[in-house]
Amino acid sequence: MSLISQFLFGPFRPGLETMRPVLYRIAYAWCHDPALADDLVQDTLSKAWARRAQLREEAALKGWLVSIMNHCWLDHLRSRRAFEDIETLQDALESPADTPDACCNREQIIACVRAAVARLPMGQRQVLTLVDLEEFGYAEVADILGIPVGTVMSRLSRARASLKTMLDQAARQHGVEPVLRRVK
Amino acid sequence: MNSSAISDETLHAFIDGQLDIADSEALIVRLRADQTLAQRVCGLRSLQSMVRLAYAEPPGAADVRAGAARGGRLLQRCAAGCLILLVGLSGGWALRSMDMQAASAQPRLLDGYQSVSLAQQPDPSRIVLHLDGDEPARMETVLDRAEALLDEADRQGRQIELEVVTNSHGINLMRVGVSPHAERIARMTQRHANLHLVACSQTIARYTSQGQKVELLPVARAAPTAIGEIVYRLQQGWTYVRV
Repeated sequence: MSLISQFLFGPFRPGLETMRPVLYRIAYAWCHDPALADDLVQDTLSKAWARRAQLREEAALKGWLVSIMNHCWLDHLRSRRAFEDIETLQDALESPADTPDACCNREQIIACVRAAVARLPMGQRQVLTLVDLEEFGYAEVADILGIPVGTVMSRLSRARASLKTMLDQAARQHGVEPVLRRVK
Repeated sequence: MNSSAISDETLHAFIDGQLDIADSEALIVRLRADQTLAQRVCGLRSLQSMVRLAYAEPPGAADVRAGAARGGRLLQRCAAGCLILLVGLSGGWALRSMDMQAASAQPRLLDGYQSVSLAQQPDPSRIVLHLDGDEPARMETVLDRAEALLDEADRQGRQIELEVVTNSHGINLMRVGVSPHAERIARMTQRHANLHLVACSQTIARYTSQGQKVELLPVARAAPTAIGEIVYRLQQGWTYVRV
């Protein structure tokens, strides 16, 4: 029965389905694990479909979905206890660059930034990714995560400060000029 | 004034577009005078673009899950796949002539213009037209160009977004009482909801400091800086054309 309903309803949720890539990007930025991110998105979309009557206006769809995903993510963390495998992330961040060619520079920056974001405390990571990746306003982020706007601002500020420190350090270890300075 | 007097939180709010217009304009004025402050903002902006870059293409879960697809999912995907293939084939056949038209029309429209795109294939459906002077011929060209692109897209049933960004003397195109094309612009924006007009706040501040009152047409909005707006659009994959 569930198979049939999945077959019937699965592909026919155009409004929700179009949000899949957006949700996946956020989920990946939170957990840095493709399989887990995919599960989170799937879970979020199923819950959203079940509760679709609660959504009052179409414009609020994205924020509403992300707040559902936040609950799924918190549930997951609670059930799992262990957070991130810090050691592997640290390795990824501090591993020496293979070749500082211009062509792998981009990949290198991407890997470095991801590793640094992964090392941020969860609260800061969520605020940073919602503001930077999805351009949510501070009030919207506060609403989605259920925290005061002041907390959003202070977490964002701390997140960007530590991110900058980590990236500067990583850049120095690689013996290149800090990337932050070069981009003008 | 000392740039450290402005808190990090304020600068974050500024780059995230969370300050109100008055505060952001005041900050823009200070930024021009204060090198250190400008550097702090620049640092924050590049940090933000690096985060965006880092997650622009997250690794897909599909590769990780290959082979893990269960029977039900597989069946569903097959059915959906066949349907899409069928729709695609018949749709493609029906639209082939339109497509060929679009393919040949698009480069021609942007021909002879200095266009820039960060994407490998310039996106013809999201275009920024940039005007930084008020020579009558250029003002007219930018509107002609915008109208041609919008009408062409309408005829072909394509969705496009078009933004006209002005700075320096170019903002005269969007000033009440100064623009020679106010009526035409009003007509165009009424006909095309996908046409956006943007003026540079720095230019407005400069005019204001020279004692000229700048009032924008109601359909135009002010961005903190024209260059910032253009870079932002380029990062979003828009194609830039300087007129």
